[in-house]
Amino acid sequence: MPEVIGRSVPRADGPGKVTGQTLYTADIEHKGMLHAAILRSPVPAGKIVRLNVDKARQMPGVKAVVTAADVPNVRAGWALFDTPMFARDEVLFEGEPIAAVAATTLAQSRAAVAAIELEIQEIPPVGDIDMALAAGARLIHPKLAQYGSVPGIVFNREGNVACKYAYEEPGVDEAFARADRIIEDTYDFGRQYQGYLEPKGTVVQYRDGRYTVQSGHQYVFNLRDRLAQFLQIKPSDVRVQGMAIGGGFGGKLDFGPEPYAAVLAKATGKPVKLIFSREEDLLAATVREGARVRVRSALDKDGNIIGREFFTDHDNGAYSGELILMAGLALMFCRGVYRTGPIRTQFRLIYTNTSPTGAYRGVSGVPMISAIECHMDHIARELGVDPRAYRLAHTLNNNEKLPNGQMLHDAAILMEAYAEIEKIAPWEEMKRTKKPLEGVAIGSTVWLTNPLPASATVKLNEDGSAHVLSGTCDIGTGAMAQGVVGIVAQTLGLDPANVHVVQPDTDVAAYDGGSQGSRTTRAVGRAAEHAAIEVRQKVLDAAAPLMQTEAARLTLSGGKIHDIEDPGKAIGLTDILMMGAFASGPIVGTGKHAEQPIPFDPGCAAGLAFPTLPTPTYHVHMAKVAVCPMTGNVEVKRYIVAQEVGKALNPQGISGQIQGGVAQGIGYALHEGLRVKDGRYMERSLEAYRLPLAVDIPEVEAIILEHPADEGPFGAKGTAEPPIVLAPAVIHNAIYDAIGVPLNSIPLTPENILEALERRKSA
Amino acid sequence: MKINLKVNGILEEVEVDASAVLLDVLRDKLHLTGTKEGCREGECGACTVLIDGQPVDSCLYSAAAAANAEIETVEGISANGLSAIQKAMVEEGGIQCGFCTPGIVMTLTALLRQNADPTPQDVAVALNGNICRCTGYSRIVSATLKAAKNAMAQKAGDAHA
Ligand code: FES
Ligand code: FES
Repeated sequence: MPEVIGRSVPRADGPGKVTGQTLYTADIEHKGMLHAAILRSPVPAGKIVRLNVDKARQMPGVKAVVTAADVPNVRAGWALFDTPMFARDEVLFEGEPIAAVAATTLAQSRAAVAAIELEIQEIPPVGDIDMALAAGARLIHPKLAQYGSVPGIVFNREGNVACKYAYEEPGVDEAFARADRIIEDTYDFGRQYQGYLEPKGTVVQYRDGRYTVQSGHQYVFNLRDRLAQFLQIKPSDVRVQGMAIGGGFGGKLDFGPEPYAAVLAKATGKPVKLIFSREEDLLAATVREGARVRVRSALDKDGNIIGREFFTDHDNGAYSGELILMAGLALMFCRGVYRTGPIRTQFRLIYTNTSPTGAYRGVSGVPMISAIECHMDHIARELGVDPRAYRLAHTLNNNEKLPNGQMLHDAAILMEAYAEIEKIAPWEEMKRTKKPLEGVAIGSTVWLTNPLPASATVKLNEDGSAHVLSGTCDIGTGAMAQGVVGIVAQTLGLDPANVHVVQPDTDVAAYDGGSQGSRTTRAVGRAAEHAAIEVRQKVLDAAAPLMQTEAARLTLSGGKIHDIEDPGKAIGLTDILMMGAFASGPIVGTGKHAEQPIPFDPGCAAGLAFPTLPTPTYHVHMAKVAVCPMTGNVEVKRYIVAQEVGKALNPQGISGQIQGGVAQGIGYALHEGLRVKDGRYMERSLEAYRLPLAVDIPEVEAIILEHPADEGPFGAKGTAEPPIVLAPAVIHNAIYDAIGVPLNSIPLTPENILEALERRKSA
Repeated sequence: MKINLKVNGILEEVEVDASAVLLDVLRDKLHLTGTKEGCREGECGACTVLIDGQPVDSCLYSAAAAANAEIETVEGISANGLSAIQKAMVEEGGIQCGFCTPGIVMTLTALLRQNADPTPQDVAVALNGNICRCTGYSRIVSATLKAAKNAMAQKAGDAHA
């Protein structure tokens, strides 16, 4: 039986996906199923002066029309309860749901939506964070102080700021006062759409007083809880069944169409399907937030950073989702992975009359780390030193701390990552061989893992195969289809083809934190490993009497139970399951994983949702680009990643994560910016919001570094987010290197670059 | 109106609106849900099927216009087990969420029929109408080259035998 761990075993769900047999939400059909559509606000801000659905109710095929009048008058939310299900008297963003219709056909429900009489008295929108912060700005949530929130977390909220967190270490002002020079940058970051290929959708049924929700979703328990909040019912009255998911990248962690379909299902007594159109999906997508980061460094005469200010403002949109939990990241990332002297940091999450923002791969960390990495290049350039050499001279070493007090025991892995890249792309040679308008850049970071708890159950079947049940799905990363399958196969000595992953189901699985934050392999993998170990022990216990020996002498591999001291003696696993199960009962194991608190000084991090995050991993990226002076287009000629992963359970799966994550990062660096004008998105289709194509992306070279972690399954750590985190800044810095004038926004579109080239000419 | 569609070699008579697009007929009337809808704008290629061997976006293609043509969907090319490109996609890890995959498989099936030995650039250009948000494309390209190589080796082997 060959080892499974460390081998590139193809993903278990591959054949279903290449043949089109895999069932996604849109593929579901139930008898009598109705089709729903939503009426959304056509304006970013206004008062609803008239809403009349009578005519719509009379339209052919229409079975129900629901509005705020038909649902509990409550506000719900992941952490801060500020979100109504339907706009009641006012609309706060373009695209906010106002009514929902269920009809026999989709065309009928869309026609009924068009027939709803709606009159809104428009109000000038608070369209961006500057307007929201301006003195005397209109308050988007005048009752902000009264909103409920999850217990245990303090959200400092005031005015149009949903959450503010500030911290400083002693000595910042002194550092700036004695600085030899001060370098300051402000960077603007655009919104990025997750652009998963499968628009959000759901099918909901209401029977026996309970809702059954089928959705391709990243976090079924969060969805269950949100539905319970909106509908004012017990969470256990909602059953969420996860379907195969056509990409999420953070965009499918909270509610989407589900509450609307649920209300319609109850109103009609029929299954209701609601699939967002692409435009609708984009309008309501909880995209990566726009942000502005101001970073200021005090340098001594040797170029050491002796003090740092880091102020980061993030656009919440009209309602809060997960971002309100991210304030702690400013504390973790304001130093980057470099020594800085004392820091002063502030995080603000600001309401605007725009579509709510949310998690996207590398949630909120992307603008923060991008700002640090761009600023590091700027400092090096001001000092007239090489940006790589400058980084190396100031990179944290083992046992140095992040500003939250969290110890990085193994930060020297960064040096190894630089060295590995140097072997295949020597820096001096990369610089020497540059042609005009070509640029190179390198950057580094640490990344951390989402700490939510996990559970898993492993059920051994009578034919010797196993099912793994957990509350999380394979979002596409292979974390379940390769990672968890491999962990269970290895632990039980099974062929991975005989290990099957069950889709998540809140009625069946125990609580799990979902597919997010690079946690699945580590947390669910650990839980599955514990479950499999329990199963193995039960198998050996059942085998011992049949083999007339002690369980301690037995091992399980290759579908057989062997006696270590008598190698000739073996019995088949299926025999045990058939015979032994009479005596032992069916064999099932359960496991769980919860993070142990990380020792740190709570003083600076008091009140934060996540003051620390577990499992640091270390990353260095290098890029080479060429800028076209005629078009402003940028070609990424080479991209290299050195990523530390703990243990590479499945190298193919990991390199796939690296390539895919970098591709999204390149898209963000160069053209993926969802622009907001007067509160509205300017890009509203995949034609206007261009996603990278095969011709845009180079073959990303991936170097995988292994430093097994004691507490990860077989030493594995999280891998899926980090590839996107560095790519925008590294591409940005390579462009900076190519054209030599500072650029202070991401993305850098061809227009931005042509404008910078003009500036260069006149300089 | 009633039209005749020949889908994966099987003649089907379906009742459709004159304005119906092929994607809806395949998915809703013929229950061939392997073909996906990602945008309905002709941008993503998730809905790619072959009409007389050519990849088209079925979300924009009139069903009536497809009457009397040879329509191939992912179900058709999977009928005798995994094809060379499907096998290579699984082995090379050219799949993540899988939502783009049926469309990409169709595009690459057409490419490999027309060009038995494509370069990486040929593959990338062939994929201009297919978005994959997950993979960064590298493994899809390598899967295509592998499928081509396997097919050529098999042909050489067959010729030898
Ligand atoms: S669904 Fe047809 S191109 Fe996207
Ligand atoms: S595998 Fe997800 S879009 Fe291609």
